[in-house]
Amino acid sequence: MATQAAAQPLDLAYMPRERSRLQRLGRVARQHPTGVFGFLVLVMFVFLGVFGPWITPYGPNELRVGTPLDGPSLQHPMGLNQNGQDILSRIIAGARVSLIISSAAIFIGASIGSFLGILAGYYGRWVDYLVQRSGEAFAAFPSLVLYFMLRAALGPGMKPIIVAIAIGALFGGNRVLRGQTIIESRSTYVEAARSVGCSEWRIFLRHVTPNVLPLVIVIMSGAVGAAILAESALAFLGLGVEEASWGRDMSGSNLSIARTGYWHVVVFPGLMISLVVLGANLLGDSLRDIWDPRLRH
Amino acid sequence: MRQYAMRRLAYLPLIIVVVSILTFFTLRLPFAVDPALLYVNQNTTAEQEAEIRRELGIDKPVLEQFVVWIGDVVQGDMGQTFRSRQPVWDEIQRRLPVNIQILVMSILFSTIFGVFFGVITAVKQDTPVDYGFRVFAVFGQSIPDFFLLILLIVLPSIWWNYAPPAGGHVSIFEDPWTNLRLYVPPTLLLGVGTAAAMMRLCRSTLLEVFRQDYMRTARAKGLAGRNVVIKHGLRNALIPLVTLIGAQIAALFFGSLILEQIFSINGLGQFFLASSITNDYPVVQFLVLYTAIVVMGINLIVDLSYALIDPRVKYT
Repeated sequence: MATQAAAQPLDLAYMPRERSRLQRLGRVARQHPTGVFGFLVLVMFVFLGVFGPWITPYGPNELRVGTPLDGPSLQHPMGLNQNGQDILSRIIAGARVSLIISSAAIFIGASIGSFLGILAGYYGRWVDYLVQRSGEAFAAFPSLVLYFMLRAALGPGMKPIIVAIAIGALFGGNRVLRGQTIIESRSTYVEAARSVGCSEWRIFLRHVTPNVLPLVIVIMSGAVGAAILAESALAFLGLGVEEASWGRDMSGSNLSIARTGYWHVVVFPGLMISLVVLGANLLGDSLRDIWDPRLRH
Repeated sequence: MRQYAMRRLAYLPLIIVVVSILTFFTLRLPFAVDPALLYVNQNTTAEQEAEIRRELGIDKPVLEQFVVWIGDVVQGDMGQTFRSRQPVWDEIQRRLPVNIQILVMSILFSTIFGVFFGVITAVKQDTPVDYGFRVFAVFGQSIPDFFLLILLIVLPSIWWNYAPPAGGHVSIFEDPWTNLRLYVPPTLLLGVGTAAAMMRLCRSTLLEVFRQDYMRTARAKGLAGRNVVIKHGLRNALIPLVTLIGAQIAALFFGSLILEQIFSINGLGQFFLASSITNDYPVVQFLVLYTAIVVMGINLIVDLSYALIDPRVKYT
């Protein structure tokens, strides 16, 4: 009893602040309905990727769970493929491959790339030169060659795909960050920090980096869609992983079957990729509007 | 300007040399796929295997191979492919027109549609037309290009029992009608993503330009609306658009590969993929070089065109 009584005044004291924060979030959400939609799509994507194996109606590799090539029905909402596998179950299973590869690639690529971009913008000189020229060389070097090199080095499986997409993400965002850092590093607060005797590292880590950090999140969210597209394109070309994945289910014999009129075999995985990439792009656009109006297209 | 162009042109061969040396050695890294393995099975004796390696020219130490290769390249000899044992150049020459046509047509389509709809959405800002096309563009940027191409094959066959032509490249100069029937629909769809990106960029740049004082002046002195938009507005919005085209080239090489795959056209992309899987050194080396030259050449043209588009841009 005594503890409850003691807790009550505290609760009341915190109530208004909590509500106002929620209200603020609600207002931002109302202004950006497409961003909310994108966020919900990504939440669904992550949910399917994490809990997929427990919610699939059939095993993704289970053969002949119904008549092969049957169209969508109540029992199999997306129909069955030529092996009699339930397409809905395969799509849920495919979310996991896509989620693991894209999130790992962006986590690695965007964090290293952001660090390099900010460093190049702030330090300039040879670091800048090196980062810029490597970016140009990368742009001229076919990404497929890079992927095959990585596959030879790291063995088949997810690792080379993750690293290849990560390298793409690494060079994708660092130019924008570099430009923004150059602007920030010439602003008054940096001069002020320097005049009170802060070390260059301290200015870099504690003053400049936090100020360009929102841009990192914007770049990361923009990279999600590109990473999912890259993963599915590799899988489509038959260069992906062995497990069920969306791109893979649209290629090879599935595609040949679809050419003869069984559209549902390839259309549902394609719609799924499009939906998730759409969600990622919409969320990325909204975050950009909220955090960085300068980048608005 | 001329000095800048000369310096960039001098810089180009340097990068090309670096990229090709880099490719030469990365392909031969100890853990990379051994191209001889394709021609070896469990019945092949050690002598036969040595003979195959000698024929392919990969029996010597890497540095020695490098010296031989440099000597050949300087004389204009790109070597023979490992698979067909034909001169690389012959194999490339046959497939080159496919690649060039796909690149040119998809860039053309995406630029035309991107700029056209970009201007319309900017002029009609915040009207239903604007919203409609912007929604369309967001979708266009999200749908994978291979899905669009698959739909192009699958949907007409269900709806109208019609399949767009696939396979069998004919030169545009010999039979333009058959050629265009094969290439126009897929390149149109391959360009959708770029067109969407270009439309959004064109719209936002134009909206910024419209706010400038010189636009108000142009209208004030009584210029017709269309002239203001095209001569004053679009010209000032061109630089970011041209930059975007340059950046899309590398991505379109990948798109070309996917188009060839789905429409079973025997082009450079397919050739590149097949040769990469077996690590056919001469082919991969040549194609990396080709890609690098095209990508960097177009980016050079893009950089130089800035001065043509905007006389204020000065190169020193």
